[in-house]
Parts: sequence; C-alpha cells; structure tokens
Amino acid sequence: MKNGAVMPINPKSTKDPDFKAILIFFLIALSLLITACDGDPSADPDRRAETETAKVAASPARRPRQTLPEGIVWQTNDTDPVFASPEAVRGGTLHEALLSFPLTFRTVGPDSNSSFRSAILDNQLSLVGIHPNTEKIIPELATHWAFDDDRRTMYFKLDKRARWSDGHPVTADDFAYTLDFMRSEHIVAPWYNDYYSREIERVIIYDDHTLAVVAARPVPDLHLRIAIAPTPEHFYGQLGDDFVMAYNWKIVPNTGAYQISDFEKGRRVRFKRKANWWAEDRRYFKHRFNVDTVVFTVVRDFNLMWEYFKKRRLDTFALNLPAYWHVKSKTDVIEKGYVERIWFFNDTQQSAQGLWLNLDREIFADRRVRYAFAHAMNIEKVIDQVLRGDFYRLEHGFMGYGDYSNPDIRARRFDLGKVEALMTDAGWQRGTDGIWARGDQRFAVEVTYSLEEHTARLVVLREEARKAGIELELRRLDATAAYKKVLEKKHDVAWMGWSTSLRPQYWEHFHSANAHKPQTNNITNTDDPQMDRLIDAYRNSLDAGQRAALSRQIQEKIHEIGAFVPTFMVPYVRQAYWRWWCLPDPAGTRHTGDLFDPFSSATGGLFWYDAERRTETEAAMKGDHGFGPVTRIDDTYKMPSLR
Amino acid sequence: MPRFQLNPLTRRKIRRFRSIRRGWWSLVIFTFMMVAALAAELWVNDRALVVRYQENFYFPTYGAPLPGTTFGLDYAYETDYRDLSRRFTAAGEGNWVLMPPVPYGPYSTDLRDDLFPPFAPDWHQRHFFGTDTVGRDVLARLVYGFRIAIFFSLGLLVVNYAIGVSLGCAMGYFGGRFDLFFQRLIEIWSNVPFLYVIIIISSIAVPNFWILVLIMAIFGWIGITWTMRTVTYKERERDYVLAARVLGASHGRIILRHILPNTVAVIVTYAPFSVSSGIVALTSLDYLGFGLPPPTPSWGELLAQGWTYMSAWWIVASVVGAMVVTLVAVTFIGEAVREALDPKLYTTYE
Repeated sequence: MKNGAVMPINPKSTKDPDFKAILIFFLIALSLLITACDGDPSADPDRRAETETAKVAASPARRPRQTLPEGIVWQTNDTDPVFASPEAVRGGTLHEALLSFPLTFRTVGPDSNSSFRSAILDNQLSLVGIHPNTEKIIPELATHWAFDDDRRTMYFKLDKRARWSDGHPVTADDFAYTLDFMRSEHIVAPWYNDYYSREIERVIIYDDHTLAVVAARPVPDLHLRIAIAPTPEHFYGQLGDDFVMAYNWKIVPNTGAYQISDFEKGRRVRFKRKANWWAEDRRYFKHRFNVDTVVFTVVRDFNLMWEYFKKRRLDTFALNLPAYWHVKSKTDVIEKGYVERIWFFNDTQQSAQGLWLNLDREIFADRRVRYAFAHAMNIEKVIDQVLRGDFYRLEHGFMGYGDYSNPDIRARRFDLGKVEALMTDAGWQRGTDGIWARGDQRFAVEVTYSLEEHTARLVVLREEARKAGIELELRRLDATAAYKKVLEKKHDVAWMGWSTSLRPQYWEHFHSANAHKPQTNNITNTDDPQMDRLIDAYRNSLDAGQRAALSRQIQEKIHEIGAFVPTFMVPYVRQAYWRWWCLPDPAGTRHTGDLFDPFSSATGGLFWYDAERRTETEAAMKGDHGFGPVTRIDDTYKMPSLR
Repeated sequence: MPRFQLNPLTRRKIRRFRSIRRGWWSLVIFTFMMVAALAAELWVNDRALVVRYQENFYFPTYGAPLPGTTFGLDYAYETDYRDLSRRFTAAGEGNWVLMPPVPYGPYSTDLRDDLFPPFAPDWHQRHFFGTDTVGRDVLARLVYGFRIAIFFSLGLLVVNYAIGVSLGCAMGYFGGRFDLFFQRLIEIWSNVPFLYVIIIISSIAVPNFWILVLIMAIFGWIGITWTMRTVTYKERERDYVLAARVLGASHGRIILRHILPNTVAVIVTYAPFSVSSGIVALTSLDYLGFGLPPPTPSWGELLAQGWTYMSAWWIVASVVGAMVVTLVAVTFIGEAVREALDPKLYTTYE
C-alpha cells in the first residue's frame, strides 16, 4: 500500500467499493485482536470520550514570518452553483452501521487505514476543496488562493473565523505543523513521512492567516497536491515515542461540522454536530450537515445489517447489489412505502475492475493469446444473467475521468470465432478435453480473487470460457493473501479493481520502471518502450489539454497491449432509506458515492430529517396501512455514453 | 476350498447389531447413499446416458467430452445434451437422447432470460430441489458434495487412526519415558486452536483435497491416541501378553498380532463418530470459505448461500435436511456398533 495506488493520495478522493471491502475483510480478521484488547481491564477503564484538552502543550515557539511577495492575484469562487437544498432543516439522528470497530482513532500510523478513518478525516477540512459538479476549486479553510508563476507554490488566505472544535483559532502555524507532524518518525507512518517530505517542500507563513504551500516540483493540478489539512499543534505539542499508543483513542480537535462525542469500544461511535459551527453559513456548506447526531453501530454481518435496517435500527441501506435491489427489496416495509428507494446515477471515476494478465507468464507472452483470452470472457452474459443487467460493461480502465477518458475504446467482446482464429493463428490446437494445447502446454490459467460475492460471476465466466477452450482455475484467497500474491506477481490472472483518483495514474500500473519486481502496482508486468515514453510525457506535462490527449493515447496503448480485460462498472448508487429522510433535487452531485454520507466535505450531508413524516409513517405502520412503494430514479448525471 | 468362516463371537456381535433395527436400517440407508454417490454420474449428470444419432449409439457419461460437432451441431465445445435432446425431439428424425433423471451436473449453470436464480424446485425442469444463486442444481451439488465430504471424512479417518492408533499403542505398550514425552507433546499440541491454524493456512494457500486432509490430520490424531494408550495399558498386563513374551515374540508381533485385535472393538466404536465429525468439520470450513476451493460442490458453501438468501428456503432446507439425515444415520450406526460390541452384554452378575 505504500506506493499509493490502493491508498488514494488524497484521502478524500473517491474510494472504490472493492478497496473498502478489502479493508473490511482485513478488519474482520483483526477483530479477534479487538476482543483480546477489550479483555484488558487497564486498557481503558473510562469508556467515555476523553476530553479534547488531554494534552495541551505550552504555546509553541512562533515560527518566523516572512513578507508576502508583491503582485499576488487573489482568486476565490463564490459563483459556482450550490448543490444543497434550501428546504433542508436541522435535527434528527442518523444511524449507520460499521462492519467492525476501528482499531484506532488515529488517522496515521499502524492500523489506522480502516474504512472508518474517512469518517474522521472528512471532518478535517483542507485549505480548499473541489466543487463536486464543476470540479473547480472552492473555499474550505481558505477563502482566497493564488498561484505563483513557478507552478509549485500556492498562496492561501485563511478564513479568520475558522475554529478548531476546542475553540482555538485555526492559524497558518497549524499548517506548518502538519509538515512537522507528518514527517515525524514518531507517527510510524513511512508512507506519510515520505509523501510530506518528497512531494511538499515547505509551508511559508506571512502572518497568522496568510501562508503559502510549496510543492517539491512543478506538478499538474497543483491544488490537488498541496491543499493540505491543518494539524492542531496546541493539541499534540511535542511528539514522543509513545505517540502510537497514547493517541489510539484520543479525540483530536477538528474543523468540520461534527466531532466524536462518545464511544463504546467494539460497539458504537457517536458524532455530534457542533453547536455553532464556524462554517455553517459559507456558500458551499449552507443547508448541509443537517442531522444533529450520527451514530455508527457495529453490526458484524452484512445480512444482519439488512435485518437491522428493516427493524428501523438503521436508517439507510445500500442496495447496489442486484440481489438486494431486485429480490430482497420485495419486503413489507418497502412494498408499503415505509422505506423508499432511490437509484441515483453519477458520473464519476470508475474503478479499473477486471482481469489482469501477468505478462511474465509464458502463456501470455503472445499477444494473440491475450486477445483470445479477452474474447473468451463472456462478461455480457454475466451482466445479463447474473447481475440482472444492472452493471455496465467497463470499456477500459479509466472511464469517468472526463476529458482524460477515451470514448472510442471498446472492450473486446465474447466471440468464439475470434478465439478460434487467434489461437489457431498462434499455433494452438484443441486437446481431447476441448482445451487449447500446444506441445505440453495447456491453456489453463489460475484466476486469483478474494471476494466471496464474486464467485457467482466467475463460475459463469469459467463455464463460458470452457466453451472457448480455456480453463479457468478459480483461486479464492483471503483479501490480504490475495493482495500479497498479486503484488508479488505470483498470479496468472488477478481478478481485482483499483481505487480511483481525480486524474488517471499510469506510471504505477503500466511503466516498465515498476515491471518484473515485487510490491509494485504494475501487476501485469507491462514493459513497453512506447508506453514508457507516453507515460513519461504525461507525467512531465503541465498543460491540461496535452495531458488529456496523452491520457487518451495511453488508454489506446493499454487496449492494444491487451493485458487488462475490463469487466464491470457501477456508475450509480442505489439506496433504501426510511421515509422520513429527505434528499434534495437532484439527490446528489456528479461525484456522489453515497447519498447519505454524513460528513464528506465535497459531497456529503445533503440529506435531512423530517420529524412530521416520521410521525405520519409511524402512525401508518401502527394502523398497518401503506403509502405504496416509492422508487426514485435520478439520472441527472447519468454518463452520456449510457443514455 | 476353505470356506470363509467368522468366529462365533463375531457372528454373535453381527447378529446383535442386526437386531438393533435403528442402527441396521441406518447402515442400509447409508450404504445406499454411498453407492448412489459413487454412481452419481449415472443419475445426476449433464451428460446424456445414451445418445442415438444416425444409427450410432454414444455413451458420453464417462470419458473425454464429445464436441458438439459429433452430433452435427455448430460448436466445438462440449455438447449441451439437454439442448440436443430438445433439438432431436423437434426434428423427429429418429435420433434420441436419454438423459439421467437429474439432467444437471454440479457445475452446470442453468440460466434463463429475464429470470434470475435461485429458482424454486420445479418438477418440470427436473430441478427437484431447486437451484442455487448461480443457477446450479441443488440436488446435483448435494450429491457430489456428499461424495466429496464422505470420502474426505473417510480419508481423514484413515490418516488420523493410522497415526493415533500406532502412537497410542506404542505409548501404552512401552510406557515410561516414551509415554511421558508424548503425553506432554500431545498436551501442548492439543492446546493449539486448530480451526484458526487451518484458517490461517488455507487463507495463504488454497488447499486441495489431500492437503486439506493432511492439515486436518495434523491436529486430528490426538483424540484416538489417548483412548488407545489407555486400552493398551490395560491389555499389556494381561496374561496372554506375558505368555507371548515368554514365548519370545517381538514387540512388533505382540502389538500387531495380540494387542491390536483385542482393541479393535474400541476403534470400531469410535469410527462412525469420527466420520460425522469429519463431515461437520469440512462443512464448517467450507461455510467459512476456507475449505476446498470454489466451485467445488460443497455443503458448507450451500449453507452459506442459504443464509445469505433466506427467502430461497429450498437451498437451506435441502442442505440442512441432507445433513440431518447423514449425521443421524452415522450416529445411529455408531450407537448400534457400540451396543453390539459392549462387553457388558455378556457378563452376568448373579
């Protein structure tokens, strides 16, 4: 994970569901440890949240102030459309479920990379954010910003009203401290140590509310790289060797709308909305983050979550899986309309899910064999007959990146005739068992995967591939074991998806610098000089138009090499929610991945609670009369290619 | 020609066993299930039993797959016999296909347009127990899963008993430091939480049938060792053993020819219960997803599906029903064996 492909560089960037699932599985495995920890009476006798004043350091020495250069052209953004609804009202409690309790509340260091971390990080605002519909820069902690001509420095003016949750003002020193903190060896986070040393050079302070962040070198989309979050120096003070243990369960002051108010280890975490949050009237935060309380309860089984949801112990439930949307939804509370459903299409970066062929395997050295393999994968049948036509065919690994995506590439379709032609051309013949063979070689390859839910899809692919004369041996491994096997390039074919980032990342996956060695993300061992040249050009270019053109070219090249067989994409979210939860119109944004995300500073907190509707619904439930089923389909942001 | 003659004591035990009707009928049913499972290809299979095509007979059940071209179809992969049967019937040229009673294999998916599995039991489609969530026939998965489970557990039994019985005998017979050493070793060994170890091992490397047997045997031999040790201790002090030693018999001969036959009753009594625990162990590992790799037919996997799709009652009902029948049958057999071999039966206290 240290090379930053599975772990998004910006912790707030969109997360791929597979990545979450991997983490969840990992956490389940480790939940045994939690139980062990719970048994220790000295671990935490007082289970209430510790106060935020746990460690108030003496006021740190003031950092030197420099003089602001002349001629800075300040920019801001108060003209982009708002996306929250003015009808939203405050109040209510949202109940959500966690598959396992986090191992720590730290966001850096050992065991911190859990799915729960985003709940904490989302309440930690950055200097600036990205508008979820226009993708332009919008203010968060900084109200104004400016680019320097050196293309690696950005100036920021902080919002003077910005406050930490303990009342301290947010100052430029807190950003300088972020670098000290992230570079400290005491946090035991080599990836962060490295990132904050190599990518960000320094923070320059001009006064308490004006600063500049300097990247190590000119990079495209500079604001994505250096819009760092502050770290409360008054809270951490001097770090020591005991950091990892001492801060496991500390509640760190934050700048977002919610803060953890109390928790019970292994059971639940409660977040409360701040009474007078400093940013609640800001243009892009207004009418958002409406619920008073958000409670995360541990429910260690997905099926059980569904049962809890139907019993009103959870407020929302994700219905992305076809079985839930089509079959399990045929239940009383939905038929009677106490629970409503929404199918919301988004237009966001799609995870590169599919089959990754290891080119270092002798069998895949021949491009014709790779093409034949792709033509033997009956993805359409899986979509139509297993996934109920709900998923869409992923045409290539980088869809949904706007200009950076090549709309002309089409994935190779299931075609027995083409398999026949390609294999015969490559000198193979069908053996007595119907499988292609050449000499003592047989076209039987191992497919490594980890998610149990995917077995059904692979079983159908396997049956269809047999028709094409290719034998797939399915190998399901535990998520971490599968991940390790693939990163060590010991697989024939890996069935997996990568998380996404705002712009496509090619160097990690397709550059020869990462081929033929373990622990890199070039799991296909792609080693192609032309590809290297394209990727280098893409990485070195600072011009958005040129980068987009190169990106489209690289995607063509990936298609031509044929080591990646794209499978599915899910360009939407489907959720069920109790009737008293309201959503704006449109229900989310172009990049929304969860309509009931309570915290995300970019897309979260748009929903609200309607107490009247709750009374009305509960009365109806008592009288056993229904409202009729409600399914809302919102295709405002449906991908143009799917219309 | 010498006639095979059982000794009268054994005959009496068999008579006694047969007289316990519950156990006897369980054995009959269980034997029938084993034979049926062994011949599963003949009655649960997606390959036809007989195909009559252009004056020729084909028997595709065993052997290499016949490509569709054999029967004048336009594809080179294995013939879809259900489809072939429909075509022949429609064409009416005197060709015919005889399918097994359950025309589905454990791997074949029966998917239909506009309908989505799991499908409920359907007499007409010959899905007698319905299909699972991928559209595979539940009965076919049950039968082939049973075959794997029962041979897994018999294989496990053989390996466990081979280790456990020989070590237990040796400990009981030699006693002394040898015994002490292995007692301590077993105590330590038996404190290793074996299920976790198996889960850890099989999450790193996907085990195949024999590797899984071996992994489970690493921890499975302990139980019988204790029993054998105790029994041997008792037998060792009997006069016939001393007599054999006086006659100059070697240790090996004494253990194998004299002691072991006298402890066979114990081994036989324990065996059926070991079989059922083997089946349960494999099923639970498969349920947790750490057993044999998918898509191997397995009861545990069906059970997991049943839990995920509670509304598809036929999945969970079939597999629970099959488990109940099997485990009850094995347990009844075990009880009857124990009763038949019970030495107390022949002792009279007057």
